[in-house]
Amino acid sequence: MYKRLSAVLLLLLVLLLTGCNSDERILEKLGMVQTASYDLAENDRLKTVYSVPVIDPESSERRQLLKAVTDSLKEARVLLSKQIDLRLVSGQLRTVLFGLNLAKEGLGDHIDTLLRDPSIALGVQVAIVDGEAGELLSKSFKSNKDTGTFVNHLLEKESSSNIIPPTTLYAFTRDYHDDGIDPIVPIVKDQGDRAGISGIAFFQDGRFVMKIPSKDGIIFALLRGDIKQGELSINLGERNGRKVRVMFSSMLNKRKVSVQHLGDNRFKFIIADSIQGSVLEYTGHEDLSQSKKRHELERDVAEYIRGKAQEMVKKLQQNNVDSIGIGQYVRNSLTYKAWKSLDWSKVYPGVEVECRIKVTIKDYGKYM
Amino acid sequence: MMEKLSPFHVAVLVYMSQIGIVVFALPRQLADYFGTNGWLVLLPGLLVTSFNIYLITLVHRLGDGKSVFEIMERSIPKAVLYPVYLGLCSVWLIFGCMIGKKYVLLFQMIAFPTTNPMLFKMAVDVLLFLLIIKGIFTISKAATFFFWMTFWMYFLLFWFLPSFSWVRLTPFILQGGHDQVKGALELYTAYLGYELSILLFPYMDKSKKSLAAIYAGNAFLSLLYICLSLVCFGFFSFGQLKKLLFPLLDLLGYIQFPFIERLENMLYGFFLFLILMTVAMYWWGALEAMRRVIPKLKIPVLAFLLTVISYCISFIPKTLDQVNNWILYLGYAATGIAFGLPVLLIALLLLQGRRVSRV
Repeated sequence: MYKRLSAVLLLLLVLLLTGCNSDERILEKLGMVQTASYDLAENDRLKTVYSVPVIDPESSERRQLLKAVTDSLKEARVLLSKQIDLRLVSGQLRTVLFGLNLAKEGLGDHIDTLLRDPSIALGVQVAIVDGEAGELLSKSFKSNKDTGTFVNHLLEKESSSNIIPPTTLYAFTRDYHDDGIDPIVPIVKDQGDRAGISGIAFFQDGRFVMKIPSKDGIIFALLRGDIKQGELSINLGERNGRKVRVMFSSMLNKRKVSVQHLGDNRFKFIIADSIQGSVLEYTGHEDLSQSKKRHELERDVAEYIRGKAQEMVKKLQQNNVDSIGIGQYVRNSLTYKAWKSLDWSKVYPGVEVECRIKVTIKDYGKYM
Repeated sequence: MMEKLSPFHVAVLVYMSQIGIVVFALPRQLADYFGTNGWLVLLPGLLVTSFNIYLITLVHRLGDGKSVFEIMERSIPKAVLYPVYLGLCSVWLIFGCMIGKKYVLLFQMIAFPTTNPMLFKMAVDVLLFLLIIKGIFTISKAATFFFWMTFWMYFLLFWFLPSFSWVRLTPFILQGGHDQVKGALELYTAYLGYELSILLFPYMDKSKKSLAAIYAGNAFLSLLYICLSLVCFGFFSFGQLKKLLFPLLDLLGYIQFPFIERLENMLYGFFLFLILMTVAMYWWGALEAMRRVIPKLKIPVLAFLLTVISYCISFIPKTLDQVNNWILYLGYAATGIAFGLPVLLIALLLLQGRRVSRV
């Protein structure tokens, strides 16, 4: 009898599946938003563009663009779903682009809204567009018709090679909610015939404050932490009437930091980088096979990096953005009470920062 | 010879009845109530639960492995005991039921936002019913099977190590928390489930190993909680962790493999096995208690009645917040039982022992 009862109950289980009718997802009927862009419109409104890939193989279009101007981020979704015959879902969202003007107003609330949605994961890439994000996303570049996918791949590739630090919703919110570090986001720019990464944007309290060009990205990466891969082209000026350029590649960096208390809420922060790498280009006169000459070059490269790093730290302090995370280390060197009574944003610009760079040339290629 | 649960199966059963729905919110609760390095609170948690298990083993030793119901019935008249049994039954039944409902509501939130959650609940309850009518040995076998089926998931924690940073943990010990007493009581529900081992006495070996297995199951759970919370405190920043309602769901959502991403719906599905066992054990406990009140009713009929009653009750709380409140208050009651029942039994056993020695 119980076997029969079990059979009936199992049948009931199968029947229950029909209850999921309203949440049925048929791939062909889904509009999976892959890239979303948000810009500031007039009267503090929000201009949204969604890029939805077209799955139909017979269609000549590779993506569908949906645009709306609304008061809030999620209102846009309601409005945009009326423009498309597919059911809009955000579970496959890969990249979110914000326009520069919106970033200046502050992204905190918008990112909060994005994360409240259970279908949006922390792994979504975030980028700022130098200009209008919607315009960049809507543009079809010759080399890449689907700009959203292209930008996503570009960000993934660049962040894996440390030219820009990895910036996902996770990393942004992590640093945004941390009291000892400020978040950063890569900047994407329309470069005429293609979209490219033009630099790194620095945020304080969720608001865009300053940026650096992408060529300085590696210097910033050296300040921010260990790196496992990176390249740096160094201009050592003219020597004996010859321009000396060094290309330092396959860089490995081990960063060590220490905090010294100078009393009266003043601190000294020491960043000691130990960089290893290969020389792939060298246009100077010296013979690199001689260890003495190589060490000279190591010192020159270290001095070059140190100068650039000090310059960058100064710029960050002038703009009062602590994206290196100096605050985290100062916090950890204090008692809880002392840290809480410290107004870090007032103390930070006055912190004495010293960069110590040690460079080791692992090899110099296969040519004398 | 009657089948007995081996020590390993006891350990797995204890662990599987402990790990449940609380694990999704645990790291956030630790950060919110206890502040920086809140994961350290799990260490005293392990001590307190171990002390409670010590009380349970004491009952086993003093009572010579007899069923707890027998011990009680020997000294207390049935008229007094029936309300106690009814109390045990209702707390365990509804506590289990609410854990199931919370899992279903979370599942609904992340995967099926508009489907009626009570349909899922019914599916889960049917499975549970089929499981509990088979008795504790089948439940134990299912628990062991589910244990191995979900074992690989612990290794997913390694995924987060590259983004883990000790700096984020801060050197501050338990600073910036609030309402620690309330938090501690709330957190204690994360450990609950081991107290049901007191009902396993007639079904397990009388060896010391079986008792050690109860400690082992609890220690394994604590170790897992510590690892998970430590990873959360170093992976998320402290402020961020306090904002995440269910940090474990966010962790699962962050995992991406080159060939697939957004795995959390599938991974969340695996947690059903853990929840099923927790609820099954509570319901089995409720069933055991109820059998003493109505011994003549056949087990499947009784189990069916209990399932239907609990299903009807699970209609009452509609939102996640309401379910949380139910779990909170029932958790208090279950914690009371976890400590109160062994203490009562020890008192009874000492009393009975004295009487016997006088005779």
